[in-house]
Amino acid sequence: MSVALPSEATSRDAADRTARLPSGAAQAYLFLAPWLIGFIGLTVGPTLISLYLSFTNFDLIQSPEWTGWANYVRILTNDSKFVASMQVTFFFVVFSVPLKLAFALAVALILNKGLRGLSIYRALFYLPSLLGASVAIAVLWRQLFAADGLVNQLLFSLFRIQGPSWISSPDYALWTLVVLSIWQFGSPMIIFLAGLRQIPQDLYEAASIDGASRRRQFWRITVPMLTPVIFFNAIVQTIDAFKAFTPAFIISDGIGGPVDATLFYTLYLYQEAFANFRMGYASALAWILVLIIAAFTAFSFLTARYWVHYDD
Amino acid sequence: MTTDSIDRPAAAGRLATARPLLYHVLLCAVSIVMLYPLLWMLASSFKPDDQIFNDSSIWPSSFSLGAYIRGWTGLQVQFGQFFWNSFIVATLSVIGNVLSCSLAAYAFSRLRFPGKNFWFALMLGTMMLPYHVTLIPQYVLFLNLDWVNTFLPLIVPKFLAADAFFIFLMVQFFRGIPRELDEAAMMDGCTPFQIYWKIILPLSVPVLATAAVFSFIWTWDDFFAPLIYLNDMGSYTVQLGLRSFVDSTGKSDWGALFAMSVLTLVPILLFFLLFQRLLIEGIATTGMKR
Repeated sequence: MSVALPSEATSRDAADRTARLPSGAAQAYLFLAPWLIGFIGLTVGPTLISLYLSFTNFDLIQSPEWTGWANYVRILTNDSKFVASMQVTFFFVVFSVPLKLAFALAVALILNKGLRGLSIYRALFYLPSLLGASVAIAVLWRQLFAADGLVNQLLFSLFRIQGPSWISSPDYALWTLVVLSIWQFGSPMIIFLAGLRQIPQDLYEAASIDGASRRRQFWRITVPMLTPVIFFNAIVQTIDAFKAFTPAFIISDGIGGPVDATLFYTLYLYQEAFANFRMGYASALAWILVLIIAAFTAFSFLTARYWVHYDD
Repeated sequence: MTTDSIDRPAAAGRLATARPLLYHVLLCAVSIVMLYPLLWMLASSFKPDDQIFNDSSIWPSSFSLGAYIRGWTGLQVQFGQFFWNSFIVATLSVIGNVLSCSLAAYAFSRLRFPGKNFWFALMLGTMMLPYHVTLIPQYVLFLNLDWVNTFLPLIVPKFLAADAFFIFLMVQFFRGIPRELDEAAMMDGCTPFQIYWKIILPLSVPVLATAAVFSFIWTWDDFFAPLIYLNDMGSYTVQLGLRSFVDSTGKSDWGALFAMSVLTLVPILLFFLLFQRLLIEGIATTGMKR
């Protein structure tokens, strides 16, 4: 028996190997089948159809009517809502992403000091990020910055300042959404923390023996060593900021008010598609968003070689 | 904010003892500012209505469950129905994501087949594609299948591994499992499916749990897909239920709204308390968002 076993195994193995060559691939594709069906039916197909629809007028009821570049031409030359929503979105990206990352990095640096209670702080700071996408938080935010909301109550009782009605004022409404975004600095913070852990301590030891100040150590060691993580966080957060939807929808009653001050690009797209049923036009809007995100990503990767420092 | 990166043990001198205290004070202040709105919402949900707007404290002077009762029964459909709907959708999404993504991840990480690199590259590519591009044709597709106003548009894509991100996560993990295990199992006559089911999956509980928990929370939180696909209040998820509170009552019943908001956050908070470590490690190692 004990002698027979190995030979039996190898012979079965050999037989299996010859039999498996054609069937192996088929088997692999069976494993892949759910994803493949989804990929073709829910991604590739719809992407191509979306591209087609962007050149048509389509209201869901009548079949799409080919209009060539008309949608794109109108978007780029004669659509004040497009311009407004672009401005809102860019404003949001430009202010919320750097502020959020700066805050996340500052807190991560402090947490990296090896303080006691690290895991508690880390969990507390991460909590808003985790809750962030839900309607409940948007509702809460709407109340916080309402005319008689908590923020104004505190401003009045602490400083005797009568605050404005933040949400319904075109000057401040977008800022409340920027603050909401910064409040959710938890997930970039955790990634920064993980990145800080990777920096070899002997670099700092060597630097302090050479008499480098802390400030100098930060700019010459921490920041350069952290650039890949900064880069990663910046990309993820920016793409995410371009796609922001739920808070703007809830806070602005779904219409991007007051006077389009919170008309995020995605909100405008949603309105065109599902309130005005201009599916062709909305498809063109979607493709412009894709091009902007792609251009941004490509630009980031191109400039990255000048400031992102990789070890090897 | 200080920008130094390490405490120099010798040079820091007297400051070294004061500094940690300073940091703790700073961090506590940040924690309070961050958590205050959440605690205030929790407190407000128990306050009698007239107190919500004159009382910024996070400890109600008198407790009342009135807001919860009004919120639970305030719409034509009881809030419990929304919870049930969300629960069904989120649970099925977890099952779909874990099954379909792990099958694909197994093929990508363990099997050899022609076209593997090609498909893998495409799979990674889909992670970059904003969902807005596929949104409208998908809507038309589901409309033509007569699936609008059912849970199918929310669930079926999950069984087709539409969240490529989870595939990527699992591929990374599966690659770390020693190949010798597969080979030994194959020697013993296991089929690839048996290897997947009896070896890879049991060894991958951490990554499967991470995917499951995030999958649940994201589906629970999702507002956009239900907004588009569910029109009938009886089929609303909790997020849509909350939204109809904001709309339906011209002068919003903030107490009821807060009470139901608190309830919709409870499942997420529970997952957070139970799987905190897993979630944080998931974020730290993979950069998951949201």
